Amino acid sequence: MASDVQALTSPVAEVPLSPRFGWAWWVALVISGVLVLLLGYTLMSVVLVGVGVWGVNIPFVWGFDLINYAWWIGIANGASLFAASLVLRQHDLRTAVNRFAEGVAFFAVICAGIFPIFHLGRPWLFYWVFPYPATFQVWPQFRSTLTWDFWAISTHAIVTSLLWYVGLIPDLATLRDRARRKTVKKIYGLFALGWRGSVYQWAYHQRAYRLVAILVLPLILIMQSTVAFEFAVTLVPDWHETRQPLHFVATGLAQGLSIVLLVAVMLRWGLRLERYIDDRDVDLLGKLVLASALVSGYLYIDEIASAFLADPITRQSTLTRMTGDYAGFYWAAIAYSVVIPQLFWLKVARQSVLAGVFVGFSIGVGVWLDRFSIIIGGLQTDYLPSIWRDYTPTIPEWGLFLGTVGLFAALVLLFIRFLPVVSMFETRHDEHLEKS
Amino acid sequence: MPSVNGMERLPLDLDTLRARLAEERGPVLWRSLEELADVPEVRRYVEAEFPDIQTATVDRRTLLRLMAASLALGGLAACDSRQTVTDAPLLSQSHNVPGYTPGEPLVIATSLELNGYGRGVLVRAQEGRPVKIDGNPLHPATLGATDVFAQAEVLSLYDPDRSDSPLQNGLPRSWEELTEFIRPVRNELVVGEGRGLHILMPPTSSPTLARLTSLSEQLFPLAQWHRYSPIDEDNFRAGAETLFGRAVDAIYDLTRADVIVTLGGDLFLEEPGHIRYAADYQARRRADDRPLPRLVAVEARPSLVGARADERVALRPRDIEVFAQGLAAALDAGSAHPSEPHPAIGRLADELRRAGARGLVTAGREQPPRVHALALAINARLGAFGTTIRAIEPVRPASGENGSIVALAEAIAAGQVSRLLILGGNPVYTAPADLDFGALVRRVPLSLHLGYHRDETALACHWHVPEKHPLEGWGDLRAFDGTVGLRQPAAMPLKASLGVEEFLGLMSGQMVDGRSLVQATWREVWGDAFEERWLKVLEDGVVEGSASPPIDVSPTPEWNAGAPGPAPSSGIDVVFSPDPSVWDGRFANNGWLQELPKPLTKQVWGNAALIAPETAEMFGLATGDAVDLTVEGRTLRVPVWVLPGHAPGAVTLPLGYGRTQAGSIGSGIGFNAYLLRQSGHPWVAQGEIRTTDERIALISTQLHHALQGRDIVRVTGPDPADTAQPGETEALPSLYPEWRYEGYAWGMAIDLDACIGCNACVVACQAENNIAVVGPEEVARGREMHWLRIDRYYAGDPTEPDTYFQPVLCMHCEKAPCEVVCPVNATVHSAEGLNDMVYNRCIGTRTCSNNCPYKVRRFNFFDYHGAEYAASPEALNPQVTARSRGVMEKCTFCVQRIGAARAEARIENRPIRDGEIATACQEACPTRAIIFGDVNDPDSAVSRLKRSPRNYALLGTLNTQPRTTYLARIEADAERQPADATDKE
Repeated sequence: MASDVQALTSPVAEVPLSPRFGWAWWVALVISGVLVLLLGYTLMSVVLVGVGVWGVNIPFVWGFDLINYAWWIGIANGASLFAASLVLRQHDLRTAVNRFAEGVAFFAVICAGIFPIFHLGRPWLFYWVFPYPATFQVWPQFRSTLTWDFWAISTHAIVTSLLWYVGLIPDLATLRDRARRKTVKKIYGLFALGWRGSVYQWAYHQRAYRLVAILVLPLILIMQSTVAFEFAVTLVPDWHETRQPLHFVATGLAQGLSIVLLVAVMLRWGLRLERYIDDRDVDLLGKLVLASALVSGYLYIDEIASAFLADPITRQSTLTRMTGDYAGFYWAAIAYSVVIPQLFWLKVARQSVLAGVFVGFSIGVGVWLDRFSIIIGGLQTDYLPSIWRDYTPTIPEWGLFLGTVGLFAALVLLFIRFLPVVSMFETRHDEHLEKS
Repeated sequence: MPSVNGMERLPLDLDTLRARLAEERGPVLWRSLEELADVPEVRRYVEAEFPDIQTATVDRRTLLRLMAASLALGGLAACDSRQTVTDAPLLSQSHNVPGYTPGEPLVIATSLELNGYGRGVLVRAQEGRPVKIDGNPLHPATLGATDVFAQAEVLSLYDPDRSDSPLQNGLPRSWEELTEFIRPVRNELVVGEGRGLHILMPPTSSPTLARLTSLSEQLFPLAQWHRYSPIDEDNFRAGAETLFGRAVDAIYDLTRADVIVTLGGDLFLEEPGHIRYAADYQARRRADDRPLPRLVAVEARPSLVGARADERVALRPRDIEVFAQGLAAALDAGSAHPSEPHPAIGRLADELRRAGARGLVTAGREQPPRVHALALAINARLGAFGTTIRAIEPVRPASGENGSIVALAEAIAAGQVSRLLILGGNPVYTAPADLDFGALVRRVPLSLHLGYHRDETALACHWHVPEKHPLEGWGDLRAFDGTVGLRQPAAMPLKASLGVEEFLGLMSGQMVDGRSLVQATWREVWGDAFEERWLKVLEDGVVEGSASPPIDVSPTPEWNAGAPGPAPSSGIDVVFSPDPSVWDGRFANNGWLQELPKPLTKQVWGNAALIAPETAEMFGLATGDAVDLTVEGRTLRVPVWVLPGHAPGAVTLPLGYGRTQAGSIGSGIGFNAYLLRQSGHPWVAQGEIRTTDERIALISTQLHHALQGRDIVRVTGPDPADTAQPGETEALPSLYPEWRYEGYAWGMAIDLDACIGCNACVVACQAENNIAVVGPEEVARGREMHWLRIDRYYAGDPTEPDTYFQPVLCMHCEKAPCEVVCPVNATVHSAEGLNDMVYNRCIGTRTCSNNCPYKVRRFNFFDYHGAEYAASPEALNPQVTARSRGVMEKCTFCVQRIGAARAEARIENRPIRDGEIATACQEACPTRAIIFGDVNDPDSAVSRLKRSPRNYALLGTLNTQPRTTYLARIEADAERQPADATDKE
């Protein structure tokens, strides 16, 4: 009986333990590796030459740095919110997607975390936002949203990595037990933290796992709101709105779900995991994506409506976003993140690999455009017309963006190579339940 | 064991050492055990490193005394090791007078030249290094204010591209080689009485130069003298001469004028007395006992006067003459009525007639002589001579400047010129194109150029001699009204160079020493009183009471206005104008001025052909489109700039760009309008426009020009009602409690009624606060660093817009939005209400700029002080940090000046007096539009202004509670309000 269940998850465990992985993986890793090198190059150019290599200016002091930051944080938040709620609800879907939803969240946090540091004029002094006992006795300024952001991103990194890692422990132990080579056994063993699968351990593990998951829920809302506060707290007319946090949370969730969907269908197809991520799972995920896109749509309508109720300057600011130089970004954002996901009303689309990739990708792009529209388009018509200008991203900024995409891809590739992409213990648990 | 570099290890014998020490008397100081051992190796080593110690017999006291002396002299020597008696600077305030404290700046009164006229300035020098120039309050041309050119002279002084050695055919030569070459040439000329010698100089008002010129004339009676400046006064001189039958200069007194009509030109920017005129006009506006004056500008090209005027009449140049004739006819000033008088003429004539002697009509230098004559005739008719205008003997004794260079060109062409001296100026670049002056100069058998740069003329001449910067040499200059100001060095010459005075002195066989030459001039004038007056004049900067007395003039009976010449049949009028940033091109290598947004276009790093919106529409042109402009067979491709308010049917070409040999900063920027200039009619010509497909990138710091219906610039009637909007005066709710200021609370008031947009404050701020020049590429990206910018808005129809200027700097908000968002406390509030920027605390998140609704914060995107366009480090003000890469910066209210005043007040145990602190912008402002002071003191000037009903806070509804507030502009026509024009861009 037990061996049946063991056998059930062996394909998942085989993946990280197999000595070969196929050429496709290598090609993908090389491409993403090149992008990571590009990231390193662009970051070094920023450190050595200055943020002037970007297209930023006065008044557009933030460009791709904050756009990408807000975008990656959105992915991280959406994915971990999704994963945590599945854990807490003990939803069936969690077996299938939790592991890489958590992984996606963690990798996105890593990508996001690059920006707050390297976007600084003097990045080597980033630690000045820490409340460390400096000899000149200056503490961080706690009224600043950037200080909040420091806490948000560091908490975020800790909690998402914990959620991911706590969930991994039993599976690491499985890998340890099945590893054939001694060094591999040792490495997995080190990270398995002496897991023996005793009832006590299981009880503690479940408690810890759910505790972290519970922590994620409020934190995600707070963190995504903190990102939104960076804009909402300022006096910039288009940013200074109470709806901003809601907009960031909702679009972030849609984006997180879409990236989880994207990775799910690609893994399912690429690693032949149909058994573990079954049609029902994908269908359910598709419905969630659709629902979140509808919520985004509602918020866009709210934005347009509230613009007309706002004071003239705010109204003009928002209207400039919709009709000005960067209007394309605004409307494309709506098209990509609200209109295209409507495809998922069709069951065929929800279950198609191609449609899944397409919609997942489209929401990701749409939310990126939305962040661009907010950060750039929102600043275009400020209070004094004399300083109204334009912003054009430079090649190093694109390099930075592609570089983080490469970093994300590389992390995902390494993850699917060396760790079980589907939670083995949860799968076994489900099988047990079904059998009994 | 201590080891000495480069020495082998030495064994030590302690006992021997002790024995040696015991033999010595008194305390013996030794530097190392090796030395104490007195082994030969060590002695060799010591000898090599300190050879003097071995040979000199110096005791400790003498050594210390010498060291102290060399330290003290080090500061002086750092200025110039070639210090000689003749170059001893700062006669009245030398370095070693008691009371000189190192670190305390010295202030030296001197004069700066522009177009031959002097503007009295005070140069602040730090350790012998001029760092800032301000107006001399005693000087009539400045009254303590400055213009952009005076401010920027500091940077020109340290120009790394300035010429540093004589050149022969482009190859560096030593001064000895130059002298050896020149001596026989001079002797030969003396023998030949100067036959074949032609001397070309810019016109100047300097009495010393006049004296030396006449001395040279005696020595070289056959030599020909030529005077040329591209910004000439020929038309005025000719007009005055036909009317009065004699040469005069006209000086205006705007403080007494009720109605002023300007026909072209720019009274506030281009006249020799422009600073004074701007100040006087504002003083007149401020006069409580009289109704507001009326200023009417009739012009083709929008000017600062036009922007300030109550009424603007945009006319193409050929119509201005007709207008002037009509105005004169309507006032019965001796001319026939034109066939179709302009509708405004009747009204203006009435107004002028009512104003009588308090009326004034002026004409710009680009107007033909006839317009000048008509304007002067109207003034005479009004009886204005003696009140608003007075005639004086010409200050700059030159006329027919164009004719002069034409004569020279003809002489060269005829082969009559064997020796050509070009003393100053850059005629190869500035001469009218039809003369082809560069080629002519190259044909002269021997030519010599004395100039500051290795410019176009230097390369065309056989010899080039470096000229002294005005801040380095001695001289004298007369102001627009004739007042004499002395020029004394504020710095040791940074490069071996000669002043024009010294060169002429050399030539005429006098001494070479500039001071003696100037002294000789004034010894002649003052006689026995010389000794006492000399020092006094050096201290004051001006010769008291030396203004030219008014002379009686009246139109000669035979004067006849005549009829305007036949109207040109077709084509577009091409008007040339000095550039508000680089003037005639002489400031092309000055980064401050290149990066200075021009008052109306806000263009930087280049020029453009200014055209009217109607003209643009007719040709289908937009700003940045290139056109081929043809004037008398010469074609130039130029970018156009659609300038609201420009007269249709005309195009204005700013001079001074397109330099090829300006230096590393100024070469290859913009187009050279001189290439279209004709000697026959240098100011207005007829041309043809042909459109092209090309576009030329133009750089501007302001892309949007309409107020968008926002009450950013407020306007009030002559009886200023409360300009504050309803509800604005009530306290708005805030999360943070109000702070009570016990001591000083610094604040500023900016009077928009006074601001003429002249930019003096912008350059003053740049000079005072070490603001980096970032270069054209960076400005194009929107990264200029000016802490103080002047926003220029248009309202109304683009063809006849109302123009508003608004200086915007850090508002030092009480509830500063930037402060709450900085995570590292890099921008904090001081106890005196300043919004301080702590550069070394800043990590560069730039979020403060995001939260600044005024967008006055500037970010160091790169290391601008180490970059291509950076000012020479010597030009930096040592009182202000030069900001590094990655930090935010902004206006500090000149906190260094506040600190200095506080220190002084504490020493004297008194509070800081009102007016004791003037910010750099305030100091430079000709119209006193900016007032700074303690708002906690109800009697301070700034508090009084802030109590004015015109006072309002920019974006006050945001409850930022700015310390800088504005006073609404006053319009006589209260209906005239910034309209809800929308942006067309």
